[in-house]
Amino acid sequence: ALPLLNSPSVEGDAIKVYVRVRPPSEGTALTDGDQGLCLSVLSSNTIRLHSKPEPKIFTFDYVANMETTQESVFSSVAKNIVESCMNGYNGTIFAYGQTGSGKTFTMMGPSDSDNFTHSLRGVIPRSFEYLFFLIEREKEKAGSGKSFLCKCSFIEIYNEQIFDLLDSASAGLFLREHIKKGVFVDGAVEQVLSSAAEAYQVLTMGWRNRRVASTSMNRESSRSHAVFTITVESMEKNNEIVNIRSSLLNLVDLAGSERQKDTHTEGLRLKEAGNINRSLSCLGQVITALVDVGNGKQRHICYRDSKLTFLLRDSLGGNAKTCIIANVHPGSRCFGETLSTLNFAQRAKLIKNKAVVNEDTQGNVS
Amino acid sequence: AAGGWAAVCEKFRTARTLSTVESRKDPETEPYRSKYSARALLQEVKQLLSAAEEGGEARLLAVRRAVLEYELGVNHTDTEELSAGEEHLQRCTQLLEPHRLSPDCVSLYIQAQNNLGILWSLRDEIKTAQTYLESAEALYNQYMKEDGNPPLDPSEHFMAEEEKITDQERSKRFEKAYTHTLYYLAQVYQHLEMIEKAAQYCHTTLKRQLEYCGYNPVEWALNAATLSQYYLSKQCFMEARHCLAASSVIFSQAGQVPSAEDNETEQDQQDLRQRKAEIARCWIKYCLNLLQSARKLLEDNIGELDPDRQLELKAQRKKEEDEKEKGRKKAVLFGTSDICDSVLAMEEKVSSVYPLDFQEAREIFLVGQNYVLEAKEFFQVDGYVTDHIEIVQDHSALFKVLAFFEEDYERRCKMHKRRLDMLESIYVDLNPQYYLLISRQLQFELADTYYEMMDLKIAIGNRLEELDSHTIKKINSLAQLAIKYYELFLDSLRNPDRVFPEQLEEDVLRPAMVAKFHIARLYGKLITSDSKKQLENMQTSLEYYTFLVDYCEKYPDAVRAVETELELSREMVGLLPTRMERLRAKLCPFI
Repeated sequence: ALPLLNSPSVEGDAIKVYVRVRPPSEGTALTDGDQGLCLSVLSSNTIRLHSKPEPKIFTFDYVANMETTQESVFSSVAKNIVESCMNGYNGTIFAYGQTGSGKTFTMMGPSDSDNFTHSLRGVIPRSFEYLFFLIEREKEKAGSGKSFLCKCSFIEIYNEQIFDLLDSASAGLFLREHIKKGVFVDGAVEQVLSSAAEAYQVLTMGWRNRRVASTSMNRESSRSHAVFTITVESMEKNNEIVNIRSSLLNLVDLAGSERQKDTHTEGLRLKEAGNINRSLSCLGQVITALVDVGNGKQRHICYRDSKLTFLLRDSLGGNAKTCIIANVHPGSRCFGETLSTLNFAQRAKLIKNKAVVNEDTQGNVS
Repeated sequence: AAGGWAAVCEKFRTARTLSTVESRKDPETEPYRSKYSARALLQEVKQLLSAAEEGGEARLLAVRRAVLEYELGVNHTDTEELSAGEEHLQRCTQLLEPHRLSPDCVSLYIQAQNNLGILWSLRDEIKTAQTYLESAEALYNQYMKEDGNPPLDPSEHFMAEEEKITDQERSKRFEKAYTHTLYYLAQVYQHLEMIEKAAQYCHTTLKRQLEYCGYNPVEWALNAATLSQYYLSKQCFMEARHCLAASSVIFSQAGQVPSAEDNETEQDQQDLRQRKAEIARCWIKYCLNLLQSARKLLEDNIGELDPDRQLELKAQRKKEEDEKEKGRKKAVLFGTSDICDSVLAMEEKVSSVYPLDFQEAREIFLVGQNYVLEAKEFFQVDGYVTDHIEIVQDHSALFKVLAFFEEDYERRCKMHKRRLDMLESIYVDLNPQYYLLISRQLQFELADTYYEMMDLKIAIGNRLEELDSHTIKKINSLAQLAIKYYELFLDSLRNPDRVFPEQLEEDVLRPAMVAKFHIARLYGKLITSDSKKQLENMQTSLEYYTFLVDYCEKYPDAVRAVETELELSREMVGLLPTRMERLRAKLCPFI
């Protein structure tokens, strides 16, 4: 068996939630002390939002203030997940937040550089480096008896359609399930990776293919979710016995959260106090909501989850280590969005591996 | 002046086109471009109207101004300027207030109220939205009662006489506006957690879509099938069946649209097949719930069919059901004449009253089983693992509940065998890394089924003079298999170092405890003539019972989840050591 590197103490399956506060953009330097800010970081896991009349205090697994470095974010968020991945767990890291809150900076690094040696590089490139570092170390230890195969795919979900970022010519792709392999994107290009440098290349190429559009807030932002997946397969030969292990690492950059009707809030099944939907063709959503409160009775709901939740079903209350990085902008103008991001993150903590086992002992206790 | 009026109408028409058609093509960088142009045009029209005010008839002008205020109100709401929108809409309703029951105003008034409802819901003030929408509903009812003639469509106020629309079209648009009122109310009630009322309004919305032909058959069928699942959760089988029958009937129209045939892509066909399978799955749940509810009514305290209760219910059924259902039926009936006939014919294929004996249960079972086959045709394991397994689980559940109605134990065993075959063949291939939850469900269900079969075999054996070696072997092997699957389930709770959790997560607490308890009982049931072996089994049994007792002592919160099991375990922990002592004494009588 693989050694547990940093033996994660027995922790629940609850999703871990990290909040990162970005510094305000340059040029809007604050001259009047704290007045321009809508929040303050109280400790490494609490944050205070200056709401009126009463300030609100939120507690998370980790709160990173404006000074927190990329390296430190990686260590506290992703390191553990990459290690679990080597131990055969699936892992997923999400970045969530409004446009301009620093999702891409956190996950990728500065947008103008596709040079991942940059000291400001983000979680994704650092995860590559660490993963391949661990693989090399394993190989050295185990000698020729052990080999690794890493493959990656990079897809984008836009408007409930799936596109392959590694093959810009491809048309819409479909999700399928395999009894051994789980959920996968049928026909997505899988590229074999042998080093972190190769992984950077694939990432850079795919990133350029993303559908980027301007939102009504008039900033450059993506309305699509991007999912970078690495499959790590290890093969160990012990005499005649071959032991194969495989796990997935999903790195997800979600679309900006400022538009509530975008799918992720809905997609994670965390309902917002909804507004009236005007289109009669959405009647089904209303009815589905009525059935949702059904009291444990057998029922079937005809409307499938969103593509994103289906693809990451395992990560959201499944058999995986998952964490969400909620990015917030501290400016007082962002108060509304920041509050909604923190509320979302608060609820995300409640998502757990729900193993409902059909149990019917009627008549058996006697 | 006539030319002037024509120009005004033209401007108005252009504004409407910009707002409803052009705006959909606006680039993302300027999402409201067409709406803003439409707004400018509407303002111009408003200016022109004011200029004409001198000579015009006061009422006519007021109504025309109300139309403009309405359009401006909607325009501002659409462009996220709620306060301005509210002002315009309020002005519209004020202008119309005295005339709101007259045929040229009622439709506009209702639509203004609808939009005020939307506006307040955008402000998260659902209660206020509710008052506007309910008043729109009341106005519709009052108008239909007092007048009922097809009222003027709001757009007609800016049309030349010869362009005006037919009564039929007027009525259609008016009814559509009211359908929207009901649909918005359904949402408002849902947000206010008035679930029953929300469901009723969804039902009415569906009903009206059918009556006024404003529906897409596939969408409608899926909505009706989904609604049936709401009724199932409320145990309203008659309503659930009606929704499902209507769903199937309307869905069959979807394939019959001739124009779609040629340019239908592979993907569309695929989608259609999937929808059909989804509706089949709703039917499966219907059959399953009906059978399971009937079982609940009929079973005695050890889960067997209670013959007294059966007779009682049979007598009661004749008296009550007919009367009660007739009244309810009128309220929910979908469709007009021919659709209605097809729906009723569809309904006749399966009962909506509780089955009270094996024959009745079997008929429902067979319908359910047919839908299982239909659903599996699309949801094949290759490509749809989760869905496929869920359907197989339903199939197994159908057999399980049918077995309850079966009196013959041998035949009952065969039904459980069928369940084992279907579940085991899936279980062997399933990768628990990706399907942990399903995998656990299957382990538990397989264990329970073996357990149940063992109990049946013991019951069969008890009728014999003496247990023959074949039966003993069978009982032991069923017990071993049950133990195997319970252990697999318990193993799935271990961490990567294979350590069993110190404290169980809340969601697996009960199943894990039940698994331990059942294993304890199973070791107690194993039959052996070897006393030493018997002693060993008793020892193992005792260990498992002790686990329950110790765990609950350490974590008193767990007691709630396993009260009965705990009580019995305590009893056994008390009894077993004495029995084991006696057995030991028998083994070595001289010590």
